[in-house]
This record gives sequence, C-alpha cells and structure tokens, in this order.
Amino acid sequence: MNAHQARILVIEDELQIRHFIRQTLEKAAYQVLEASTVQQAVGEAASGKPDLAILDLGLPDGDGVDFVRAVRDWSRMPVLILSARSDENDKITALDAGADDYLTKPFSVGELLARVRALLRRTEGGTDAGAAEVHFGDVDVDLAHRTVLRGGEPVHLTAREYRLLVVLLANAGKVMTHRQLLREVWGPAYVDSTHYLRIYVGHLRQKLEADPTQPVHLRTEIGVGYRFQA
Amino acid sequence: MRPTALPVVYPVFICAPAELTQRRTHARCLRCPVPRARIDEPNMRNDSRKHPPSISSHVLALAACGLAVAICLPLRDVLDLTNIAMLLLLTVVFIAARLGRSEAVVASFVSVALFDFFFVPPHLSFMVSDVQYLVTFAVMLTVSLFISHLTTSLQASAREASDREAHSVALYALARSLAGAISPEQAVQHVATFVREQTDGQPLFFLPDADGQLHRFPPGTSALGLDESLVLDAVFRSQASDPSCSTSGPNGPTLLFPLNGATRRHGVLLVRDCGRDGLDLLRPMLEAVASVTAIALERLHLVDLAQASRMETEAERLRSSILSSISHDIRTPLTVLFGLADTLALADAPLSGEQRDIARAIRDQAGRLHEMVEKLLDMARLQAGQVRLRKEWQAIDEVIGASIQLLGEALREHPVKVSMPPDLPLVAMDAVLMERVFCNLLENAAKYSPAGAPVTIDVATDDAGGLVIEVCDRGEGFPADSLARIFELFERGAPQLPTPGFGLGLAICRAVIDAHGGQVSASNRPGGGACVRIALPCGGEPPDIEPEPADPAGAAS
Repeated sequence: MNAHQARILVIEDELQIRHFIRQTLEKAAYQVLEASTVQQAVGEAASGKPDLAILDLGLPDGDGVDFVRAVRDWSRMPVLILSARSDENDKITALDAGADDYLTKPFSVGELLARVRALLRRTEGGTDAGAAEVHFGDVDVDLAHRTVLRGGEPVHLTAREYRLLVVLLANAGKVMTHRQLLREVWGPAYVDSTHYLRIYVGHLRQKLEADPTQPVHLRTEIGVGYRFQA
Repeated sequence: MRPTALPVVYPVFICAPAELTQRRTHARCLRCPVPRARIDEPNMRNDSRKHPPSISSHVLALAACGLAVAICLPLRDVLDLTNIAMLLLLTVVFIAARLGRSEAVVASFVSVALFDFFFVPPHLSFMVSDVQYLVTFAVMLTVSLFISHLTTSLQASAREASDREAHSVALYALARSLAGAISPEQAVQHVATFVREQTDGQPLFFLPDADGQLHRFPPGTSALGLDESLVLDAVFRSQASDPSCSTSGPNGPTLLFPLNGATRRHGVLLVRDCGRDGLDLLRPMLEAVASVTAIALERLHLVDLAQASRMETEAERLRSSILSSISHDIRTPLTVLFGLADTLALADAPLSGEQRDIARAIRDQAGRLHEMVEKLLDMARLQAGQVRLRKEWQAIDEVIGASIQLLGEALREHPVKVSMPPDLPLVAMDAVLMERVFCNLLENAAKYSPAGAPVTIDVATDDAGGLVIEVCDRGEGFPADSLARIFELFERGAPQLPTPGFGLGLAICRAVIDAHGGQVSASNRPGGGACVRIALPCGGEPPDIEPEPADPAGAAS
C-alpha cells in the first residue's frame, strides 16, 4: 500500500481545527474522513476502513477513550491523540487503552505530519515484524543472539534490562505507558511500581546513551511513559 | 416529678492532678473510681432528706402510739397481753411505713414503755410483777426496731427504683431530643433544660474554639471562680479517660464532666449545685448526661465536617471545570491560528520572503500567547487551593532531561550542562509539575542570557536524603533590589527589558516547590549570572527494589 493514499479518520468536534487538519493532510496527499462524535467515529472506522485515526480527547458525546476501546476490539489501526495539557489523565488512559501516540495542542503542521508518517510506517513497513537486528546511535542490538554492542564493544545487560530494551525496541516510535511497560517486563502485579522503570531506564541510559542526562533514543514522556526513538 | 436523692454512697478519694497542686488552689478534686456499682445502703441521712426530721412527725408517731393504747385499753381484759403486744407492734410497722425510721425508733421505745405502763400488771406502773416480762419487753423492742428497719429499707429501695426509672425515662427522652438536635446550641439547650429539671443544678457548657481555648457556650458571662477555671482547664486537658471532678468554691459545690467523643474531647459540662440535693449523689446520672451530650456534639461535629468536605469537593469541581472550559475555549482558536499560520509559513508558493516572515511571526506569537495562557492557567490551578500532587518516585535526571527535550528549539543557543553524582536517590514528586518548574527556569535562563552562554544544572544530595538543585546562567542576573520579591506573582526580574513575559514563571516554580514541601531561593553568581536554588525533600521512605534474580538470560557481555 502506498502511504500517500492512506486514509485518515479525523475525530474532532471543533469545526475549525477539523478543517485545518483536513487541509494539512489533504495537502500531504492523504484521504481524509471526518467525524465529530464518538458514535460517528466508530461508524466511520467500521465502514471507511481508515489506516489511522486522529482523535481529540474532549468529545461532546463521551470520552475519546471510549473510541479507542471500541476500535481496539477489532482493529490495530494506529490512533494519534490530540490532547490539551490539562487532559493528562485522559491521555494516559487512552494510551493505556491502546492509543499509539499523542500530540499536545497547539501543534505545528510539521509535527503532525511527522507523527502521522511515523505511525503509518510502523504498520505498513513492519519494522517490528521480525527484524532481528536493530541499530541506533552507536548501538547494535542482535535480537536473535541476544547481544548488545556499543561502538563494537559488548554491553552487559541484566535480564530485566534486556527485556525492557526489547519491549521498547519492538514498539519503536510509540509511546509506551508506565503500566504497559511494567506489565510486559515485570508482570501485572507491578503495574503501579513505577520506580522500577526509573531505575532500569536509568541503567539502560547509562549503558547505551551518549549523554544519559539528555537521552536521544530512550526518551521520557513525563507523566506518561517512555518512547524509543531510533 | 421531682426526683429524690439516690441512696448511694461512693467510695471517694481525693485526686489532685499535679498541675492543680502546683498551682496551690483550694479546689478539691474528688474522683469516683471503680467500683461504679451503686452500693445500696439506705441511711438516716437519705430518709431525713426525703422527710426532714420535724417535731410534728414525731408528735404524730407518739399520737399513733397513744391512739393504739387508747383502743387497746378497753380490751385489756378481753385480749391476751400477747395480742396487745402484737397490736402495738403493728402500730410501729405502720409508723415506720408512713413516717420514717427515726419516728419508728421512737415509737418502738414508747410502745414498749406504754405496754409496760398500761398493760403489764401492775397496771399504771412501770413495775413488773413477773421478771419474765423483761424478756417480753426485750423481744418486743428488738422486733419492733428490726421491723421498722426492714420497712424503711424496703421503702427506700422502692423509692430508689422508681427514681431510677424516672431518670432513665428522662434520659431516654433527652437522648431522643438530642438525636434530633441540628445545632450545638440546640443540643446544649436540651441538656441544660434536663439538668435544671432533674437536679436543680445550674449547668454551664464550655466548648473549645479552634485554638483549643474553652469558652462558655452559648456565649455568656461565666463568672467562674479562679479555682473553677483552673479545674475546668485541667479537666479539659487531662489525658485521663475520665477526669470528671468535683470542686467546692465560693459558688458552692461544682461537678465537672468532660464531654468525651470518640475522636476528641468536645468540651466540659460544669454543674453547679443550687438545689438541696447533694450533686455528688447524682453523679452517675450526670455522667450519663455528659456522655449523651458528647455523642450529640460529636455527631454534629461530624456532620459539619462532612458538609465542609462536600462543599470543598463541590467548589474544587467547579473551579476545575471552569478552568478547563476556559483553557479549552482559549486553546481552540489558538490551535487553529497557530496551525494555519504554520501552514502558511510552510507553503511552497506564492509567498514572498516578507510574507513568509509575517506568517512565521504570527505562528510564533500565537505560540507565545498560548504559553502565557497555559502559565496563567497553571498559576490559577495552583492558587485555587490545594494542589493535588500526583507524587511518584522519580529520578531527577529524567525530569530534567525531559524538560530540556521539551524546550528543544528554545535552548538551541544555550547549551545545557547537567552535572550530578551517579546513583542519585529517587525522590517523591509530581513529575509533570516539576517539569514545569525546570522548563520555566531553563526558559528564563535562555531568555535572560546572551546567545551561546551555557546554562548549568547542578544536582547534589543533602543530609536528609533530599536534593539540592541549582539552575544557573551567565546572563545579567537578577536586579539586586528585587531578589527578595522575585518569586512573587507578576514580579519581573527585569521589567525594563524588552524580553516578553509577565512574571509568572518563578511564581509557578515557588508554588510547585512549596507544595512539595521544598524551598526555592534566588541569588546572583559572583562572575555574573542568575542562580535559582531548589531544595527538595526526599518525600518519605524510598520504595524497595527487589533484586533481580541472577539470570543468564540478559544480553551477553
């Protein structure tokens, strides 16, 4: 499938913002579907088979989170959330429910298009579908042989550190919430023990980042989670 | 009905709280320790209180004896002496039942004497013909004394039982009316009426204000003696579970009962003896009164608390819904403005360079306007009362790193150097708010220092496990005269400079750090430049990290 024919569903109740997003996306040669309520959006998602949804969290007829939950039952299409800084909690709930990324209003056109492209690439290219080797910075990760090299030198990671790295790599570009990471790496009993993440992400940064205090690849999404950026 | 005194005797001993003896007051503090059970011992005092000893009742008793003799005298030859003795005994029982113990005792002696004088031969003489009559007299006297004792005891018990019942009924009624009381004033009024009706005592209530100082309630002049005030205070502050006391001052004997609720002491009930009844004897009932009063006050207190917290929640909800609708309404046009200007700036054709610059300027100004609105809303939220911190154990380097990452472009011309010791402890903080703090500080540092000047962030630990963070730049520094006020709202370090801003950043910083229980201060560096120092407490006991099981499944080294 060609990315430039991708269909994008824009779910936003503010007419002005919806128009501006539509303009932007159409100029970038995407097909645009529109919805202004959760109900309408679920209908459009079912009938229009969009490749990606852009979702505003403050919809009049319910929570945008409801849309994510409804859609996740039958679709893996990426969902990009538009949120305000005051919607912090809803944003995390939506991400936990399966949304892929978020943008805080106001956002620039460039940012919006970059996120859209990254999300579409994830689904179509299948970078995470079986790539045995991942490179970022001066780090090479060989998933088949469970080796991590930095500048050609082997790096020792503990089992948990390695597992955490693998989960982040498998979801490259996507925001992983604290709960998601804790569940995947430590198990469901640990979903509230965020301090484990701080310690282990800190270790990974010490071992893999050029400047651990200003990480480039293992990025913090404050209050939300982490994101691996190649 | 007017209740009578309870025939109760308490083991009493003097308890003098240390603070009282130290103050050398004359207040006597009587304490009723266990056993609390009443010891039924009817005595003369009680009877005499019910029927004050009077000449007339004794005369009446004598008259009854005389009457009995007058009736028996004509029958002297018909009836046996035994039967006459029985009739005289019956008279004594009657006197004991109707008049009381001392009358019965007098009647016992008199009737034996009359029996001897009128009926035992020789008649009209105290002489006894047969010595055996002395035995008769002794037995008769003993029996009549014993019967009169039993009769009066029985009566006292019956009276006591009916008094108790009356008190119980009245207490139930009081408890019922207290259950319906909707204000402390009403509750106190019910109790005061009860105490006045049931005991003749004068009840005074003393409830604490917010500072724990006792005041007459409802407000009025209390005219307490010095000793009474001291005892009152001692009773209220005593740590003992039941420090009820009695004191005797110039105003007469006074009883004090603490109003003990489940959660705290609600005040003191003071009852001053005005009636004839000894208040000490009413102590158990007054204790019950104090306890139902305390329950009522506690209930009203809890109702108040619940109401206040409901209103607080409601106000909080309203505030936050107003704030979020304001921010939504402002953000929508700003998002559109920002986005459209951005579209224009990025458009390929047919804009001239000047037009493109204008489009960029519109976008940047919209962005800046948005920043200011966000700051104002942040400040409004922080000032709107309790900041709800979502504290988690955070690594400070992560929060600092995220702030630098978030500012991105704004720090392009200012390299940020972060230096911190390895293995910093985790600190409990609200990461989102702390990110705002660092963003504001870094933004300020970038705004007020020349391009290329580095910004440094130094993190160190303090003795208590907290963190000390210094954010410093190489700019102009704060004006020396405004250093003290720099964290106040709308206070700008350099108002004369053309740099945009209106003095919210540092105020937000201080509000956030205050909410974390930390301190923030500003200074100027010796070599030029501004420094903001944050001391952040560690916020509790750091959580445990389970050590990872030794597992070869990690990445090979």
